[in-house]
Amino acid sequence: MKRFLTLVRAGLKSNFGLSVLRHRLFKEKKDRWLVPLVGVAFLGVLPSVYGLILLVQNIYLALKPLGQERALLTLGIMGGQLFILLFGLYYVISAFYFSRDLEFLIPLPLKPFEVIASKFAVIMANEYLTVMAIVLPVLIGYGVLARGGLSYWTNGVLVYLFLPVIPLAAVSILVVLMMRFVNLSRKKDALILAGSVLLIAVGMSLQFLLGRSGRGGLAGGAMTSFFTSPNSLLNRVGARFPPSIWATKAIAGGFSASGLLNLALFAGTSLLLFAAILLLSEKLFYRGLVGLGEVSGRRRLLSRAQMSQRISSGRNPVRAIFAREWRIMNRTPIFLLNGTLIIVIVPVLFVLMARAGSGRGDAGAILKIMTSANPLFVILAAAAFMIVCGSLNGTSSSTFSREGSQFWISQVIPVSPREQVAAKFLHSYLLALLGTVTASAVAVWLLHLKAAHVAAAAGLSLVAGVLLTSVGMMIDLARPLLDWTNPQKAIKQNLNVLLAMCADIGILTGLFFVIRFLVKAGFSGTTVLVSLFVVLTALAGLSCAALVKFAEKRYREIEA
Amino acid sequence: MIELNHVSKSYNKGKIKAVDDLTLTIRSGEIFGFLGPNGAGKTTTIKMIVGLLRPDAGTITVDGLDTQKDALKCKAITTYVPDYPAVYERLTGLEYLNFIGDVYGVPKAERLDRIGKWLEIFELGQAVTNPIQSYSHGMKQKIVMTAALLPAPRVMVLDEPLVGLDPRAAHSLKELMREHCDQGKTLFFSTHIMEVAEKLCDRIGIINKGRLIACGTMDELKQLDKSDQSLEAIFLELTEK
Repeated sequence: MKRFLTLVRAGLKSNFGLSVLRHRLFKEKKDRWLVPLVGVAFLGVLPSVYGLILLVQNIYLALKPLGQERALLTLGIMGGQLFILLFGLYYVISAFYFSRDLEFLIPLPLKPFEVIASKFAVIMANEYLTVMAIVLPVLIGYGVLARGGLSYWTNGVLVYLFLPVIPLAAVSILVVLMMRFVNLSRKKDALILAGSVLLIAVGMSLQFLLGRSGRGGLAGGAMTSFFTSPNSLLNRVGARFPPSIWATKAIAGGFSASGLLNLALFAGTSLLLFAAILLLSEKLFYRGLVGLGEVSGRRRLLSRAQMSQRISSGRNPVRAIFAREWRIMNRTPIFLLNGTLIIVIVPVLFVLMARAGSGRGDAGAILKIMTSANPLFVILAAAAFMIVCGSLNGTSSSTFSREGSQFWISQVIPVSPREQVAAKFLHSYLLALLGTVTASAVAVWLLHLKAAHVAAAAGLSLVAGVLLTSVGMMIDLARPLLDWTNPQKAIKQNLNVLLAMCADIGILTGLFFVIRFLVKAGFSGTTVLVSLFVVLTALAGLSCAALVKFAEKRYREIEA
Repeated sequence: MIELNHVSKSYNKGKIKAVDDLTLTIRSGEIFGFLGPNGAGKTTTIKMIVGLLRPDAGTITVDGLDTQKDALKCKAITTYVPDYPAVYERLTGLEYLNFIGDVYGVPKAERLDRIGKWLEIFELGQAVTNPIQSYSHGMKQKIVMTAALLPAPRVMVLDEPLVGLDPRAAHSLKELMREHCDQGKTLFFSTHIMEVAEKLCDRIGIINKGRLIACGTMDELKQLDKSDQSLEAIFLELTEK
């Protein structure tokens, strides 16, 4: 047990980077500015939490007169468990089979089940934090509204503690079996990519279905039938995934016989599945690991003529760095997904969300304006749509971080920072361009906008793209995250990406107020558009100049 | 030629002095071996020479060019091999070599000749079209070494270049180091292998706790305590103090 706890402690420290953080904050006294920033970010999340609590309250009050308020608990628990089930696949595959610590763990005198159990515990800790946003508002909101007593809160805590076990164990069993009997190790990249695209597709379908079911307003009849009708989505999924029903009955039933029985059923199933994964791992885990870490490569000797064909010539550093950025981005699944693919997916997702949600929310609002009669608003909304699709991704704001431990190469090659950022800018901007083109295509074919309006919007979007790309790159250059071992950290868990998005939204909001001022002052649509174009062009030029100057300073300062 | 003039570097806001007032000249045509215990300041010195770290004080020149003021010109004539071969894993070996050729501006004919020669010596010919991700540690070390040789630099700076190489590759590397310096070029490298330093280096410097405690030819080092000891014994004696 002591050995297991040591393993879990080491896993948690490594997973959350606790030792590194402590060293940087207290020993090196670096990154202290992060502490207030995290505080501000936390305060920023509070309105969303408040919104969620209001939503919980609305649903509760709508269901209470029908005696169906427990369906709210089912929804929260099921939502949390489904979330774990979907995203757990990636975590489990990565942690069990592709994490770097396996190289140290396997030679140690540990039993396979101990390794798996410790990794399972670390993923559980992650999941408690991840599903917190989905499950806790429901559990707490329901408890307060229904005036839950000691039995409610006790069973609630127990259900929350057991919540990730069933979906995670189910995914783990699937993964351990797959890795043992199908040789997937050599197709890791393809596996992760296919899994992620599948998840996005499932997420989009769910969003679409829920949006459709939710038409007519939250407190309307459609919403109540969504919860109460025997054929509703909730009941259908609930029936196929009974643990969420057991958990609901366990919490709502408290210390009654039904409550305790359902709690025993929920906890018992969780423990049984956990035992199953331990048993299975003892038999299959190490055998599935054999040959892992090997990447296939056919051995082939090139003739001098073949070699000559493949060898480039001359000095063209911008082209060389651009090609490097392009290749690394598109050959690393997590970069490809969050960079290139997301640009193609977002416009379609955006329209789906807006249409399914029948005009509610930001996406719906932009869509509504885009199909309105006023050409100025149509162009501005279409431009906003294109900017969101093209520039609001993590490509520019992770461009230096993505280099990671290889950043030393950029620092020792005889290429000026100006040329290096030019190549990186072109790469990020090409993706912004791709996003604008995809969004333009959606605007023309799906939303039936006039070609002239789309062209004007694309012009604005492309100039804004220069500004936002430069800003994103400067943010990443100010504090590049170079010491990652998992590429996910460079783009998905990179604070710079979040900060750049906030900056982009701030810039767009500022421009919105300028436009509103001009419109209210009575300027014509053409004047507003031309002024906006001029302002954006000036800002774009300034930001590019600032980027080059900043790069010259930072390339000297960054000590890799 | 590399010249370090009163160079200092500290970490943790001056609390840890990694390199302390280091003055050293490495002449053209010379293989210079840089020895020292772990944490003595070898890698910090090397990183300052190639521009990865900025000295807190002092100046470094490469062939008369200041590494801070003429950084790009210095980089154009220097190549570096780090102690750990962190290279672009998602590129193939050939793509990486092309990248290096493009940024250093190596003409195609020379690129073809040099790549062919070094791939054959390091036995990488069959793997060069595969992603670097599929290489072993030693193969990665070899591709980084090939990339460092590709521009035919006037100065090479190598941080423990023999780690991870098989005996044949290590032998080839030692030969090419000699060949490089016989052309009048400069080579600065750190190592923990005393026999290699003793046999290969024209001069040796020993650093301990950030300070240069001995520097000279093997004979000059032996003169230090007037005994005919091996480099290992001299090293142990000097770094024990």
